[in-house]
Amino acid sequence: MALFETRGLTKRFLGVTAVDGVDLSVEAGELVSLIGPNGSGKTTLFNCVTGYLVPDEGRVTFRGRDVTGVAAHRIARLGVGRTFQLVSVFPRLSAIENLLTFLQQHQEESLVGRLVRAPRVRRLEAAAVERARSLLDSVGLAARADVPAGTLSYGQRKLLAFAAALMPDPELLLLDEPAAAINPTMIEQMKAQIRALHREGKTVLLVEHNMDVVMDISQRVIVLDHGQKIAEGPPEVVRRDPKVVEAYFGR
Amino acid sequence: MRAGRFILGSAALVAVPWIVAALLPGQQRYVLHVLIFTALYGSLALSYDLVVGHVGSLSLAHPAFFGLGAYTAALLATEGHWPFAAALPAGVGLAALVALAVGVPMFRLTEHSFAMGTLGFAIVTQVVATNWVDFTHGPLCVTGIPKPQVGALRIATLPAFYWMGLATLALVALLYRGLTTFRLGRAFHAVRDNETLAAAASIDPLKYRMLGFVIGGAVAGGVGALYVSYVGVLCPGELTVSLSVNLLVMIFLGGIGTLRGVLVGAAAFTALPEVLRMAPNWRMVIYGLLLLVIVIRAPDGLEGLIRRGSSLGRRPWGA
Repeated sequence: MALFETRGLTKRFLGVTAVDGVDLSVEAGELVSLIGPNGSGKTTLFNCVTGYLVPDEGRVTFRGRDVTGVAAHRIARLGVGRTFQLVSVFPRLSAIENLLTFLQQHQEESLVGRLVRAPRVRRLEAAAVERARSLLDSVGLAARADVPAGTLSYGQRKLLAFAAALMPDPELLLLDEPAAAINPTMIEQMKAQIRALHREGKTVLLVEHNMDVVMDISQRVIVLDHGQKIAEGPPEVVRRDPKVVEAYFGR
Repeated sequence: MRAGRFILGSAALVAVPWIVAALLPGQQRYVLHVLIFTALYGSLALSYDLVVGHVGSLSLAHPAFFGLGAYTAALLATEGHWPFAAALPAGVGLAALVALAVGVPMFRLTEHSFAMGTLGFAIVTQVVATNWVDFTHGPLCVTGIPKPQVGALRIATLPAFYWMGLATLALVALLYRGLTTFRLGRAFHAVRDNETLAAAASIDPLKYRMLGFVIGGAVAGGVGALYVSYVGVLCPGELTVSLSVNLLVMIFLGGIGTLRGVLVGAAAFTALPEVLRMAPNWRMVIYGLLLLVIVIRAPDGLEGLIRRGSSLGRRPWGA
């Protein structure tokens, strides 16, 4: 059984069908890319499956459980991590606090324990700090741990957002354009990070415009156009698919 | 070193009634009265800053929660002959319950509508307090509210009220600190700064907004109950929108979202009108100008000035 699945997923905005009956499934441990021209519905699909939008039709299942229409924070809690297309960090929190914010709800949600800083919560916090330090180190931001995230460069914030999404060790990670608008060195760094995740057995679904990245790292590519799935398969096959070529370059 | 200064400072605060008696023998009553108001206003401002500074929602409903606590405690003590130890928690509880009931629909509103909605609620509460004469005595006010008595301990003298105010302020400051630092603070600030990202971090935005709003309302209710037990009289005029304005001036003057800033702001705001008593006609003008200067020249409030000042001092050659 697939780790993650959509069946007939449909989302309309004022008569425009942004996502149109999409069936999609991702097996545990897969690295899948979702591509398509601008406005083809990739981000809308991401928002539908992570609880930010409620689909008009269709079902979303994660680990065999129906999560259609479940609130975003609940889906995240179930083990679905995501990043956003526009760089998204908490600018006033320090880099390490950004990471800690992403793990704490998964460790405990005790209001009283947090208020009085119970020994159990302190121990969890110490473990979280240790994990955050090692993740910051792995994305090369160890030296910036204590600066406000808002003062980091665009590329650094992108890496920070990526590391933050990894904090709770999600079973499924959805990355929305991780390589967009960052310099070539950082693109290589991001590619290496995603590959490393895949090697560890993590399941990754990414939306990406950079074809070099997509063709280089994905096992399987799904192509959307006008909200519909028009092709699916290994990168080298999809690349030559006439429907895909037409969607990108016109007839 | 820090602990030593803290103990010394606390001891000095507790000893204030004797210090004042020694230094300003004729003025003791007046000075203590101002200090009691400062402590109560400081507690109220901290509870307000939980909502405005940390939840990040411009609520104008605070006078209503203050009033609910005040009226509950005042009416239970006078008409119901409830002891203070029961009337105070009843005031806190009712304010919390109403905050819970009001918060759920209010937080469906976006920023500006939220401010308008809470303002509407505050006005309705005041109108009810003014016009439901059979129940609240309306403009005739609730009078003869008894002094607090808990067991053998009776709070009736000015020093006793001062210590009560000081204990309240310490408790509220402790609660404020617990809520706004560590994991709770991080969750509040995540929701305040980016709700979408907070949800991706598994934080339920509504839950944390409600938590701040309800605790803020409950504390305001408690301060209301203590306030009437000190003043002895409660009139609907205490619940007006101008209380929200005063609280806003305090937290912006002192430094929104900071414990020390809000306390400094509350102290400055309570002491200032007393200093300006000689020029009563100019008081509001001076307030207005002061607020204008602060917002333009020091948007972080007095707290920002204190921080900049102390960081200058630490540099080896000054600025």
